[in-house]
Amino acid sequence: MWLWFSKLGSPKWFYELSGRWLPWLIAAMTIFITVGVIWGLLYLPPDYQQGYTSRILIVHVAVAGTSLAFFPLMAVAGVITMVWRMKLADMVAKMAAPIGAWFSFLTLATGSIWGSISWGTWWEWTDARLVTMLFQLFLLLGVISLRSALEDQDKAAKACALLSIVGLINVVVIKYSVEWWNVLHQVASPVSLSADSPNGPQFWIAIAIMIVAMYLFLSVSLILATRNEILQRERRSQWVQDLVRQS
Amino acid sequence: MKPHRRKKLGIIIFITVGLSLAIGLTVFALRQNINMFYTPTQVADGEVLVGEHFRIGGMVKQGSLEEDQQSLKVKFITTDFVSDVPVQYEGILPDLFREGQGLVAEGVIDSTGIFQASRVLAKHDENYMSQEVKAALDAAGSSTEDHTAVVRESLTRNLPEN
Repeated sequence: MWLWFSKLGSPKWFYELSGRWLPWLIAAMTIFITVGVIWGLLYLPPDYQQGYTSRILIVHVAVAGTSLAFFPLMAVAGVITMVWRMKLADMVAKMAAPIGAWFSFLTLATGSIWGSISWGTWWEWTDARLVTMLFQLFLLLGVISLRSALEDQDKAAKACALLSIVGLINVVVIKYSVEWWNVLHQVASPVSLSADSPNGPQFWIAIAIMIVAMYLFLSVSLILATRNEILQRERRSQWVQDLVRQS
Repeated sequence: MKPHRRKKLGIIIFITVGLSLAIGLTVFALRQNINMFYTPTQVADGEVLVGEHFRIGGMVKQGSLEEDQQSLKVKFITTDFVSDVPVQYEGILPDLFREGQGLVAEGVIDSTGIFQASRVLAKHDENYMSQEVKAALDAAGSSTEDHTAVVRESLTRNLPEN
């Protein structure tokens, strides 16, 4: 167990393993995104009230769900960095922040477009769900700028880990904001197994495919970014120089 | 686990628990302030003053919508199935505004007890279905009832228990 753990922390080992996995992940991602987008945006039956506007939600729900994964990931990576001094965890945490910021931005953008049509407003400062999501975007931008502002990598990792814990708590608030308070945003839809009731399989299977697609996209982008960071930080090590010489 | 690691992990857990507590208490204290709107029952109970600018949230009562043919003026009743509040509004209504749907309106209560809205937003519930499913449910006669129950649930969820 501990041997496996310390092996996982070795950037070289991760670089080799991820290199073998990447083609498969990229293939799966391409399939899921293609199927999800074509089905969700072209064939999904429109909602009886919203009409075709409801198709925006296929993208919105998938992107929003994925955007909530970043702070838990960064918080866990931050704790591993601080307690076990694993370099790889810090690289993952560093590279996750900008991807998470884009996911949060897309969540707010798609939500705003949908809201402007259905609710009659782009933005409501009084809606706790909307504001906590914006707070997540700002926190991620904060993590990114903290990283580039602090020269000492150890200090930067510590500060970012602390901010990630705040972000982690905020994720819980985002999740339950629609239940704790009266807000404009609707609560999470219950999944229904029967085809002739609201929220039937025709909707949630399409959304599930998009959610898997977005998680695959997150994994692929994060792995690619982390591989770059590994080469950057380990550029003086023997194996990276061998790698460069080979290519 | 080595002692220095255990110590560090302890510090992190302490920080996490402390932050959660602080944020949790803040959120709890702001419980009522963060609510986006008052329900008609809260308005009827006198929680809002005449002339005070606030938001009201409820459902557009079935059969209560009156549209003026000459202008953009509309009148309707908003309800949470306990109390009703009449609303007047002049302007463009959002796509999803219709009878039996949730709404949030912003404005003031005038001296006659009518809510003069300056802005009306439609609230969507968590149910999505295709036209076919809706038609099938309507044919079975269960849809409107279920729907009302869902809206009632979502409106009364955050009411303080009396």
